[in-house]
Parts: sequence; C-alpha cells; structure tokens
Amino acid sequence: MSLRRVLTITRRVMRQILRDRRTVALLVFAPMLMLTLGAILFRSDPAPIPLGMLNEDQGLTSPVIGTIDLGQRITDELAASDALIVVVLSHDEVDDRLRDGTVEAALYFPEDFTTYFVENRKAVLDLRLEGSNPTRSITITAHVTQAAMRSLASLVGTGFGIPGPQVTEGETALPVSVETTYLYGGEEFDTMDFIAPVYIAILSMFFVFLLACVAFLRERSQGTMERLAATPATRIEIVLGYMLGLGLFALIQVAVILFFTVWVLKIHYLGSLSLLLLVIAFLAIVGVNMGILASAFARTEFQVIQFIPLVIIPQVLLGGTFWAVSDMPGYLQPFAYIMPIYYANNALRDVMLKGWGLADIWPNLAILVGITGVLIILSSLMMRREVA
Amino acid sequence: MDLVVETYELHKYFGSIRAVDGVDLSVRSGEIYGLIGPNGSGKTTLIRLIIGLLRPTSGSIRLLGEVIPNKAILAQTGYMTQASALYEELTVRENVTFFAEMCGRYDPKWREEVIELVDLEDRSRSLVRTLSGGLRQRTSLACALAHKPRLLLLDEPTVGVDPQLRATFWSYFRNLADTGITLIISSHVMDEAERCDRLGFLRQGRLLAEGTPAQLRSQKSTTTLEEAFLQFAVEATEGGL
Repeated sequence: MSLRRVLTITRRVMRQILRDRRTVALLVFAPMLMLTLGAILFRSDPAPIPLGMLNEDQGLTSPVIGTIDLGQRITDELAASDALIVVVLSHDEVDDRLRDGTVEAALYFPEDFTTYFVENRKAVLDLRLEGSNPTRSITITAHVTQAAMRSLASLVGTGFGIPGPQVTEGETALPVSVETTYLYGGEEFDTMDFIAPVYIAILSMFFVFLLACVAFLRERSQGTMERLAATPATRIEIVLGYMLGLGLFALIQVAVILFFTVWVLKIHYLGSLSLLLLVIAFLAIVGVNMGILASAFARTEFQVIQFIPLVIIPQVLLGGTFWAVSDMPGYLQPFAYIMPIYYANNALRDVMLKGWGLADIWPNLAILVGITGVLIILSSLMMRREVA
Repeated sequence: MDLVVETYELHKYFGSIRAVDGVDLSVRSGEIYGLIGPNGSGKTTLIRLIIGLLRPTSGSIRLLGEVIPNKAILAQTGYMTQASALYEELTVRENVTFFAEMCGRYDPKWREEVIELVDLEDRSRSLVRTLSGGLRQRTSLACALAHKPRLLLLDEPTVGVDPQLRATFWSYFRNLADTGITLIISSHVMDEAERCDRLGFLRQGRLLAEGTPAQLRSQKSTTTLEEAFLQFAVEATEGGL
C-alpha cells in the first residue's frame, strides 16, 4: 500500500469538493440554518391564547360576608394571566367564535355558579374547547384550572369557608373540577391524530419533489431536453406534461398512504376522504412544480439532494406542521405564509379534525392553485435558459 | 432552385467569443449539405441557430421559407444531436413514437419504415439502456426521422462510430436525399465531405467558402478537400490581417 497514492486520492477528492462551492457552503450553512430555526421555534414564548368568557353568574349575597361573585373573581384571575387573553362573549356566539378561531376555548359560568359552589363546596367549570389540537386543549384546561384554584384560594380568610383538598376514599379531590366539551374532536383525539394529516402532506410533497427534480435534471443531462426543444412542443406544454404524469403517480402514492393511515394506523378523521385526497393532490402538484423549478439550479443529482435542507426542511419547520404559526415570532410568520405546505396543513386539519367541507376550505385550496400557477410560470421561464 | 435554409449576416456571440461571425448560408432542397470545419469552428452553434434553439445576436434566418423563430415549422425539421439523446427507460420503438407525437405526426406505418431504414427491426422492442453505442446512434437517427421531416439537421452524426457503421450511415443519408429530404450534416472528417452534394467550409465562426466538392478543389487547384480547406484557411488568415 502506498501512502502517497492514498494522499493523492485524498487531495483530489478535496479539490473536487472545493470546486463545488455550493456544496461547501451548504455543509456549513445548512446545519446552521436548521439549528437556528429550531432554536427560535423551541425558545419562542407561545402567543397568548384567546379564551372566550361567558359569565352569567349572579353571585351570592349573604348577610355574614356580603356579596361574593365567584365567576367575576375567576374571570379577573384569568385576565391577569400572561398566557391568556380574555374575550367576553355572548351566549349565541360561542360556537361561531370557536369555529372562526378568534377564541380557542370558551368558559361558561351559569347563573347559579357561586350558589352551587357555596352549597356543594365544589366549583364545576364548564369549558368548551375548539379541540382540534390535543396539546393545545390540555394547555388551556391547565391554565383555567390553575386560575380557578388561585381565585378560590383568595377567598380564604373571608370567612367563606374554603375547603382545602379533601381526601375521600383515598383520592385527593380538588375543590375544582373542569367539565370539558369539544367543538371538534374530543378526548379520543391524540397528538398523532393532529400530526397525521400534515405528515401525509409532507411525505407526498417530499417524494414528488425529488422525483420531478431528478426526472427533469436527467432530461437535460441526457440531452433529450434539447431534442424536445427542437420540436414544436412549447415550454409550458413540457411543464404541464410533467405535472400531470408525476401528479398521477403522487395521487396513487397519496391514496395508499392515506388508506394505510386511516385503516391500519386507525387515525381519527371526520371529513370526507376524497376531499383529503384532493387537498393532497394539489400539494403534490405544487411539489412537482417546485421540483421542476429547483432542477434548473442543480447540475447533478447530488445537488438535488442538497435541496432537502434548503427547500423541504424549512417548509416542515415553518409551515405550521409542529409549531402553530401564531406561536412563532412575528418576523418568522411571513415565511409561513409563503410555504405551500402551510395552506395544505390548514385545509387538511380542517377536514380531518373539524370535518369541514369544500365550501369551508376552498380559500386554502385557491391559494394552493395560485401558488401552482406561479410555479408553472416560473419553471417555464427557467427553461428558457437552456431551451430557446 | 428552392432554398431550404438561408441565413443572412448571421452573428452569435457568447460574451467576447464570436461563435458565428457573419454567416450567409444557402442550402438547396434535396441536397446533402456538409458543414465542414474543425472542432470549435461554430458548426453546432450554427445548427442550433438554424433550428431556433439559440437566438442570433444579429442577422436573420429563413427555414423552409419561414422566418425563425417559428415553433410550428419545427414539425417539418428533424434534429440529431451529437450525443444520442434518448430516453433510456423506453424501447427503441417507444422513443421513435414519442418524438413523432411531439411533432403531431405519428404514423405507425412510417415508424416501422424508419426502424427498418436504420436496420433496427430486431431490436425495436429493446430498452435503449441495453443498446450499444452504435445501436443508440441508429435509434437517434430514427427519432430524428420519426415525423417525416423535410429537412434533417445532423450534428456530427458519425462521431465515435466505427468505419463500417459510418459507411452504412452515409448510405442511409443518400437514400433519404433520394426521397427528397434535405440534409445538413456537420463533420470535421474530410472523407465525409466528399460524399456531400455541397459544402460550407467553416472556421472561427466564418464561412470560408461554399460549393460542390469539385468546385472547392478546383478553386484552389488541389487534389483533396483537406488541402483546399487549408488553403482557404490561410487565405482567410492573411486577408484578415
């Protein structure tokens, strides 16, 4: 064995990599980008949660202690919390406000809330949750319970007789219980149900992106693109042809994944499966066009792989997949709105978790169609560089 | 006589490189026109300009009577690139069909004739992936012919082809010309130039001379085209200085 030969090869390999400046830049830049995004997202303080409040509590007036209004006390306590923003609602608007997302939960105090507490030594909170995000539901329930406990504690010493935790039959019973109802979903919805729709979307977009990118690249490197350009075929015809061909494959892939998810993994879903298929098909078409566009910037198949950290991972991190866009720092939010996956995520969650129909999700679909149109035009224009 | 290709004061610059530098070319209907010149003389650029794959820096081109660029006219022209640009995952027949359909002129009968013409009947169902270089080159020619073009532009079709196949290719070309198809063939091999009806000598993006092989030889009183080319080149260099 000759060390010299080994080192000669070493030198050649290093020289080759250094000649490909983009690879060198990417080796350093891509991990930094991903870590930075991760750090920002993990460290960012979640935005306050809008909590609807419907307080009909009449309070209780007693000759001994004067008037006490427990509903008002809890409301004040909740309003003081940084994690929540209290929005006063009227009786009729609860479900509408939950549906349009301006509140994420609604707390209801009936007329006899204080009276019931005084008589039974137990506060029963009626909390209605939007319910499509299980993690979110748990957070809200916890905040509300804490606030109620604190306001009850403030009654200590008023002569009102607040019970501490009582031990009954070996269990610690708190003087507060929360009865939750859900607008969508319910307790049987777990985090996987929440993640599954967007997981499917990411996977299908990812594969079809790579497929389109490599197929188009190959077309150029094997010279058939030049030959195609010498036929009456126009650029837009070529792009649309690819879009349909790969789009159909994506559709088959999506259908298989979807049915597997629903029937084998037993993911809960509410809306219609065909609507889900439609949304994912739109996203796949976006993926094809992104691939065609990206292929213009790649000379080798290795460079196609480099698009994964640059194009796909930011979509996953910023598109509202794991972090709600409203929880992201303000300067990152505009990026979410340019990620096609953000709109697909919205539509998919609306269908799977809320059971919404086409009439409700069409704005998100329309934006996806718009993005597709822009990408088709851009990828046709990019072809101008190599094809007349 | 009908002119199939005319170029007028054609220039194409890539930055400071003058790839095509004032070419006036005329190709007549039904002839085999040889674009002869060394590597880097502008043959490929000229062919790509004629077919509209490149936009000229200045000057104009008429192709089959139409001003270029004109996408529709490309249905009547066939183009064979230097590398045998084919879809590896498709069979010979599927490749031919594809390019015919791209021109909107798919005819199964003609397809079989084309495949027969390049002697690929036995391999028409083979995947291109599995073919040798010579067979690929034949498939590539079949693809260029797939849509019954009136004009065929072949960019160094015989580069890397063994002498036997090269002779076969030239017999194909002659057969095609006999059916009325015009061929423009680029080459840097002088013995191929002899087989053309007319030639254009190309050097450093300029057309040094145009004519039949006999005319070009007699103009410089040489016995071979190679000598004639060199004489034209010397003359151009001296004239240029």
